[in-house]
Amino acid sequence: MKVRIDADLCQGHAMCALACPELFQLSDEDGHAYVEDENVPPEYEAAVERAVRSCPEGAIQTS
Amino acid sequence: MTEFSSKDAKACPVHFDHHTVDHTKQWPETYRKLREECPRAWTDNYDGFWVATRLSDIVGVAQQSDAFSAHKEVDFENGTSTGGVTIPPAGTTRGIPNEADNPEWEGIRRFINRRFAPRAIEERRAKAKQFTAALVDMVIETGECDFVDDLTSALPALVTMEIFGFPLDEWRKFADPFHTMVFTPIHDPAFAETVRGLDYFRERVDEEIAKRRIEPKDDFLTLLATGEINGEPLTWQQIRDLSFNILAGGVDTTTALASNALIWLGRNPGERQRLIDDPDLMPFACEEFIRFYSPIGALSRTAIKDTEVDGWTIRKGERVLMAYAGGNRDPEAFEDPEQVKIDRFPNKHVGFGAGMHRCLGSFLARMMFQEMIGEVLRRLPDYTIDEDGLRQYPSISGVNGWISIPAHFTPGAKVGAVIE
Repeated sequence: MKVRIDADLCQGHAMCALACPELFQLSDEDGHAYVEDENVPPEYEAAVERAVRSCPEGAIQTS
Repeated sequence: MTEFSSKDAKACPVHFDHHTVDHTKQWPETYRKLREECPRAWTDNYDGFWVATRLSDIVGVAQQSDAFSAHKEVDFENGTSTGGVTIPPAGTTRGIPNEADNPEWEGIRRFINRRFAPRAIEERRAKAKQFTAALVDMVIETGECDFVDDLTSALPALVTMEIFGFPLDEWRKFADPFHTMVFTPIHDPAFAETVRGLDYFRERVDEEIAKRRIEPKDDFLTLLATGEINGEPLTWQQIRDLSFNILAGGVDTTTALASNALIWLGRNPGERQRLIDDPDLMPFACEEFIRFYSPIGALSRTAIKDTEVDGWTIRKGERVLMAYAGGNRDPEAFEDPEQVKIDRFPNKHVGFGAGMHRCLGSFLARMMFQEMIGEVLRRLPDYTIDEDGLRQYPSISGVNGWISIPAHFTPGAKVGAVIE
């Protein structure tokens, strides 16, 4: 699984960081989310799915 | 009362007034009926506006910031205003960046974002913890308190004063006018008087800014006094509008959130014990209380061009009320939306708004909520709410909060924390 955050849609609600703090980081500048590596280790796939369903802006896509 | 005369989404006139005591008493029911029967409702009140109660519509409006304006135009000569994020626009006070569009919005947010980002807020946690412990110290030996006066109003105000760099002992003079303004109905003759109470805040901002220009410190007032937006120093008007927005956002919203949570946890001792036993639930409980109580229940936009949101046409000049409180209980988005589940997750609420205006202070609000509720659960774990003494805001059009929450608990010992 790969995960991508649409930077135009992300507004820093930070729900993804609550769903999966191991993968989603929050910017020190504006609190918007980013991932260091778009490849999702298998053990975090379920948490990333929860992050997708937690995002009010619909900013997270997986493939 | 909200009455419904049509189920046609494109012609759905209703009588809706979020400033009434009736609305305060029955908003969950009002929004449920609107969502089910009339999710894109039109009311003629306050020169006419749409009421959006579905989560997807609210997000749809909030995300189209090029079509839906938050800008407030103030006519200081005539003392009137148009646009902005409230219906009707309240007086000549404008909050920025909340009531600004691009490019103005982006300049301001870039200027202040960092101060409210997660890292900066974590650095403030120790101080908030100390203030919270000191506030509990002041009541813990007596066995009784008023959660609003003694804690939920005090802590956010103190932390906000600390961020600005105002003297901490002035917190009540700053917070009280905002507190009173948000719960006094706009039709009440006392409303104009409460708005004048904000003059003290404006005068103190002006005084302190003048001092910081001579003697800079490491605080938010210094940033306002000496910083630049797009290469230009801030004007006096920008400083006032920006500091108004930060103070208004800081002093009463987290108050309302923590107040509602304390009442709910008082009424649900089993769930309170669960949160005591498993503090890891706290961040999830925080989001759930934001969803369920929606401290800021609704804000508005004005269409600046004919726009479509998922088949709903909004004409240029029409205003839209985004009823966050309605969207946050939308069964399309939340299972059992009328139930509080302190471990609810996923939880894609819009309690902090959506789109580019997402609440600047969201990380600060969460941190203060965790400190206040955590301290109460640790030190006053058996508190009971005096239900007869509860006083809700008469109007929740601004903030869904409480004037008074008297409580009793087994007295305990001070820990010796101080506010300084």
